[in-house]
Amino acid sequence: MYVEFLGIPRERAGISEMELEAETLGQVLGQISARCPGLSELITSEGLHPSVVANLNGDEFVKSLDTRFAEDDRLLILSADAGG
Amino acid sequence: MPHGYHGCYLRIDVSQPAASERVQLSDDVLRQCLGGSGLGARLLLEEGVGSDFPASDTPENHSRPHFPDPLSPEAPLIFAFSPLVGSPLTTSAKFAVVSRSPLTGRFNDSLASSGFAIAGKRAGCDAIVIVGRAPRLSVLVIDDGNVRLEAADDVAGESCPVTEERLRARLGTDYRIASIGPAGERAVRYATISHDGRHAGRGGSGAVLGSKNIKAIAVRGTQRVEWAQPRELTELSRDLSKRSFGPATAKYRELGTAANLLTFNRFGTLPTRNFQQGTFDEAPNLSPEQLRTEYSRTRASCVACTIGCEHIYSLGGSNVRIEYENLFALGSLCGVSDHAAVLRASQRCDELGIDTISTGGTIAFAMECVERGLLDEPWLTFGSGAALLKAIDLIGAREGLGQLLADGSRRAAEVIGQGSIAFAPQVKGLEIPGYEPRGLQTMALGFAVGARGADHNRSGAYDVDFSDKVDRRHATLDSVGYAIETEDKAALMDSLILCKFLRRVLEDFHGESAAMLRAVTGWDVTADELRETAQRIVATKRQVNLLAGWTLAEDTLPDRFLNTPLPNDPEASLTRERLNDLVAEYHRQRGW
Repeated sequence: MYVEFLGIPRERAGISEMELEAETLGQVLGQISARCPGLSELITSEGLHPSVVANLNGDEFVKSLDTRFAEDDRLLILSADAGG
Repeated sequence: MPHGYHGCYLRIDVSQPAASERVQLSDDVLRQCLGGSGLGARLLLEEGVGSDFPASDTPENHSRPHFPDPLSPEAPLIFAFSPLVGSPLTTSAKFAVVSRSPLTGRFNDSLASSGFAIAGKRAGCDAIVIVGRAPRLSVLVIDDGNVRLEAADDVAGESCPVTEERLRARLGTDYRIASIGPAGERAVRYATISHDGRHAGRGGSGAVLGSKNIKAIAVRGTQRVEWAQPRELTELSRDLSKRSFGPATAKYRELGTAANLLTFNRFGTLPTRNFQQGTFDEAPNLSPEQLRTEYSRTRASCVACTIGCEHIYSLGGSNVRIEYENLFALGSLCGVSDHAAVLRASQRCDELGIDTISTGGTIAFAMECVERGLLDEPWLTFGSGAALLKAIDLIGAREGLGQLLADGSRRAAEVIGQGSIAFAPQVKGLEIPGYEPRGLQTMALGFAVGARGADHNRSGAYDVDFSDKVDRRHATLDSVGYAIETEDKAALMDSLILCKFLRRVLEDFHGESAAMLRAVTGWDVTADELRETAQRIVATKRQVNLLAGWTLAEDTLPDRFLNTPLPNDPEASLTRERLNDLVAEYHRQRGW
């Protein structure tokens, strides 16, 4: 599956997307945290920091670390605040 | 009188400034409406329809005399400060400008920040109410509460920054200046009032000030208020400032609001080519990530702010402040991907003193009219930066096509006819900001019911759409409560006044707000009382609209959004029936 970073998560990750193998949101966060140390402020053992949200394929927003993904899913990590 | 207030407002008739008076404000009134938008709405009702304004929404009240025309001498223009202004609380240096809008005919409140708020309050008042019309273009000088008019000949026709600079050179650098640009002098219906590079931007308050023959207001003062619990206030302020440096505000510090551009494009909610599309292929070219590689950039803050959201780019030897709304309205909405043209267009809007959202929305509408053969202006095409800049100058000068476009997209559609109102991008006459309603349907409801029209600063329902609380493309009646919650929260923040960029910093919003207000005023105010206060303020705005002739039919969206799914996202479809159901539920839950 792919993870895309937008806004501040992209600034912290230093890349716009990465490919990885994971079945749950918890596994995804563990992997991206290890591969992108700059994201450590935004990922805790309980999940994403409240200033960040995760969205599956541009459709639903997901929060549970047990959320399961398919091989061709794209997870978007973005700032929670959409104010402009 | 509570601490934090002066307990009066300054009422100035610029037709006869010597007759200015201080009008007392009771403790009860202040506690009921706080300050900013809430106080402004209350004063607008009292000024507009007399002190016996009706307290309830009854059929008889609908037949009461309407307010005077927003651009007539009798129409009041109100600058409202707040109890928190002048305190050490971060982001509290803000003021609200309240009037009936010449663009919508409905309630309008626009907010701006910085030293004018502090200087205005130090003039010894909680609000300044301006009525009348000066005999010639003038500067209204308020020196510690003493009022006079001075000639404005040397700043007539000048931009807002030049006007501020010249007046401070003339009057003294301790004055703070709020001014209008050439557009306000020419009654462009979405002209702004500018201060220190920021704008009370939406709804045309600049045209209202211009209609009073006032080019600028210069204010200074020495009168401070006392705080009820100074030690507690200092502690609260320190804690809030510390938290304001954290991850919750990183977006604003590091990328600015422009960070929305690529995110919204990815979600198919970036309004493009007058809302004909939700994605813009060239969006990366306008992103802050790209702009910072092309231009030198500095950051700035309003007075008394620790967030520092302003991102200022250097363009041709001068500066331009860039926000998401500038980039969307003057970029993707007009199909323009040339970042130099978009930055110059933003700069030109600031110089002329016009709202970038209404400017971009009205020009994009005209571009579509040209594309459809409804308007014979072949030079005005989507994607042309040169056409965009030409149109802005015509609007500022009210020349040629600019005469039509200076009145906004709704009035332009009424003149052009041929069904063009269906795609005029406005609600109640106010152009829609950069949130595609079909893809963000809680926000669509917020737009439809907003007292001042479609606006992202009066409804924060987009935050709900970007969460797991709702399905953003399939709103249900469950969305309504969330929309109300964000509208109430915005009304409270606009009345306290605190910057909305703090909203994720304040984890217990109502509880923390009550603690701040207790420390400032000494009132035994609670979180629950503030929830009621917020509802009262929203209801007061509606009361203004009722008396100005509002009907339920206005709480809707243009046909485009109710007939056509987003081309690249068929799931993003909003029917008239669904929106009507949401609006009806909104009114039911409001008890209206």
